[in-house]
Amino acid sequence: MIEVKNLTKKYGDFTAVDNISFTIQEGEIVGLLGPNGAGKSTTMNMITGFIEQTEGEVIVDGYNMLKKPKKAKKEIGYMPEGVPLYTELTVKEFVTYMAEIKKVDRKTRKERVEKIIKQTGLEDVQKKLIKNLSRGYKQRVSMAGALVGDPKILILDEPTVGLDPKQITEIRNLIKELGKTHTVILSSHILSEVSQICNKVIIINKGKMIAIDTPQKLEERVQNKNCIYVTVEDPENKLENIKNKIKNIKNITLLEENEDNTKKYIIETEGEDDIRKLIFSEFAKENITIFEMKKADTTLEDAFMKLIEEGGEK
Amino acid sequence: MGAVIKKELKTYFLSPIGYVFIGLFLTMFSIFFYTDVISFYSTNFEYIFYSGSTVLTFIVPILTMRTIAEERKTGTEQLLLTSPLSITKIVLGKFIAATLIVVITELFTFLYYGILCYFGTPHLATALLTMLGFLLLAMSYISFGILASSITENQIISGIITVAAFVLMLFLPYFNTAFTDFSLINMFAKFALGQIDIANTVTFITFTILCLVVTIIVMQRRKSVR
Repeated sequence: MIEVKNLTKKYGDFTAVDNISFTIQEGEIVGLLGPNGAGKSTTMNMITGFIEQTEGEVIVDGYNMLKKPKKAKKEIGYMPEGVPLYTELTVKEFVTYMAEIKKVDRKTRKERVEKIIKQTGLEDVQKKLIKNLSRGYKQRVSMAGALVGDPKILILDEPTVGLDPKQITEIRNLIKELGKTHTVILSSHILSEVSQICNKVIIINKGKMIAIDTPQKLEERVQNKNCIYVTVEDPENKLENIKNKIKNIKNITLLEENEDNTKKYIIETEGEDDIRKLIFSEFAKENITIFEMKKADTTLEDAFMKLIEEGGEK
Repeated sequence: MGAVIKKELKTYFLSPIGYVFIGLFLTMFSIFFYTDVISFYSTNFEYIFYSGSTVLTFIVPILTMRTIAEERKTGTEQLLLTSPLSITKIVLGKFIAATLIVVITELFTFLYYGILCYFGTPHLATALLTMLGFLLLAMSYISFGILASSITENQIISGIITVAAFVLMLFLPYFNTAFTDFSLINMFAKFALGQIDIANTVTFITFTILCLVVTIIVMQRRKSVR
């Protein structure tokens, strides 16, 4: 549905987006993830044809964005960052205008506008001026503007920024609902959002693509390097010897010494095996008392941070 | 393109801009009408238009300064530029909408023509020709104003650039006659005498097209440098 090949954007010497390539299939909901200034918006702006790339190409539904912009743009509904709107118009006027510039057929236009207003829950405010609406409603109006042209692809730049928790849930549900009939790309720096909605994640940092995978696989990728937290009472300092007894242990680091003479360590292990059982029995032999033992959960958050750090080192 | 024209016209009258433009022009026009007709006992409709053309210097920027600058500032240009509309159609749409405001204003001036008819016999052909020349002049000014609006995201700056350029055109000929041939407003003078001057007509149209083309190039260019 969307093919991005070696996409690069340079501003003088600064490379905002560096040689990004990926393919998005029909019906996928893809999350573009990265810290601020990573190049998410720039990438989206190039896919939507708002700016032109320095190198590479974007192919939308078989149409090259630079060579056949009219056809390519018709297939995309874009909700830009910061939801720009014509605030002097009413909701209905705005959605109608968007339908007109998106070349919705004159005969079905009125019907289409009404349908979208209903779908995005704007019926009650359709006669109000956009400037008088709350942030949540403005977000919906922008969404309606993106949807009204009946595009196959929806591109949403930070769709939940600035909303309250209830509105965030509503917008997320709306995106999930739309994902059933559209191909969706959304950008975010909130990981939980991406893992909830998307079935594919692209992580970008400093203009480079670091990873592309499902949220589950990304978590697994970092999970191999397991960590176990233990809090022990170890008066004879025998813990160092443990390292030689269990071969899976790669490293033991002291994290903190508590006031009650217990110490918290982080044990890094290699391989897939869960060695908590082994630790328990070996610690018992050495007379080390375990107060607490916990396997560190890897969340997408960790995966994200880890990948970004690794990507930065390269 | 029709959608852009419709929306621009709507915006002119949703904000005070459209009313201010028409109101200011008609106010000044009325004053010139009074001085020409009552003080000098003249029934020359075109003289009033000739005096009125200087007003364009200050009121055309009101129409044009926000056209593109505002879209750029609020980010709504993203909506336009990611729609299937070409940049040419967007620019033309905005230009035609502003031109239509001038046409509406001109239609109002027929009231004054009616008054003149009551007291004397003004020459209709000359009057129409003057209005045509006036429209051509306004189109040149509007296209320049849109160009100025496309190079900045601050509408005040675009307004000042436009006024400055028009004021120069208005006053430079007084300092040195060499500038006379470069002043658009002087080219309009011949129309007010009832002459169709091909050279001047071509100049107005060429100037308009040139400004619009440069505007389109500026916007196209910005896509790759932004």
